[in-house]
Amino acid sequence: MKQLAEKPFVLLGVHGLGYAPKQLKAVMEKEKLNWRSISSRAVAARWSARGTPTYYVIDPKGVIRFKWVGYPGVKTIDAALEQSIQAAEANPKSASKVGR
Amino acid sequence: MNTLGRIATFMNRLLRHGGFILAFLAACVAAQDATNPGTPAAQCQALLKESQGATSTYFQTTNDTERQTIVARVDKATVQLLELVEKNPKEPFALEALTQVITQEYWLNNHTSHPGWGKQSPQARAIALLLRDHLDSDKLGETCKRVNFGFRPECETFLRTVLAKNPHREVQGQACLRLAQLLAGRVEKLDSIKEQPELVRRYEDLFGKDYIAALQRQDHSKVMEEAESLYERAHEKYGDVKLPYDETVGEVAQGDLFEIQHLNVGKMAMDIDGVDQDGRPFKLSDYRGKVVLLYFWSEY
Repeated sequence: MKQLAEKPFVLLGVHGLGYAPKQLKAVMEKEKLNWRSISSRAVAARWSARGTPTYYVIDPKGVIRFKWVGYPGVKTIDAALEQSIQAAEANPKSASKVGR
Repeated sequence: MNTLGRIATFMNRLLRHGGFILAFLAACVAAQDATNPGTPAAQCQALLKESQGATSTYFQTTNDTERQTIVARVDKATVQLLELVEKNPKEPFALEALTQVITQEYWLNNHTSHPGWGKQSPQARAIALLLRDHLDSDKLGETCKRVNFGFRPECETFLRTVLAKNPHREVQGQACLRLAQLLAGRVEKLDSIKEQPELVRRYEDLFGKDYIAALQRQDHSKVMEEAESLYERAHEKYGDVKLPYDETVGEVAQGDLFEIQHLNVGKMAMDIDGVDQDGRPFKLSDYRGKVVLLYFWSEY
């Protein structure tokens, strides 16, 4: 797996049980999960109605490029991210340094 | 490193605990017969137990030989169950046993040590019997649900036939919804495998090369249009039909339609607003300019 820290890439989470931030933080610390996440039943119900886990890859313009319901395997996720990040880097106009 | 490695481990753990718990039916058998060994009902129960026992040990296997043994056991029990119904088509367990055959073929198809089928897969044979003996049944709702995950031409034919010919409104409504799901789901699967030659080959082994080629040549936007109009029909005409887990056909149809229109590949992602684990405001649209992997998760 490759290092993504310097790439125009971010991993964001939506936890589905509607926890308050404190409770969510406790779970994430216990599981050693270090990505930014919110916890919302309503958002999860809308975006992942067919089950958890669900994954989306969204391109720099905000268009959904990949979607998996159920864990597709790390190879599949890796390949999709690599393809999307390469496309973003090839077109730096759309890949500005936004977010953290 | 590394975030991705950590997610992978985390997800593998989830998968072992959460996924693939096959819900086998317990109530296959008319009770009075079940205790009498040698009756078809008792044989049916024994075969269900055999495949349930085999699949439930799958995740304890440590090597390919063990896995192949389990796949062979499920394969054998599935074919025997089908043959039992073929010999005893009027038994009260026939419909549920055939529905179970459909489910077990999915399990087999998902395990690559299974070589695939000739033209007459258990699903195809089960569906032929269902259409012959149970087309008028008021109990086909669950069967329609199982069939919607199917890829074979027989699955589509089954749902179209039930929708057109079954006399019960509840069943028609479920067939309508499940046909929409089958069509939309098939397009989604075709799209997701097209850049993965290994998977395309697997699909060809399972379902036939010509058939996969024919599906790939279909106009996918037309298929999605039909799926949308079936969802609309399910919502408008059969909206109040009840499904298990307190849902209705109308609710599921509307949810799926929303998904097709807003959450499919190629659609603009809706914004998400919330508060993160540190109490800071969170907006998905703040990350325009980056590739986002958006991960919907829960601890189990």
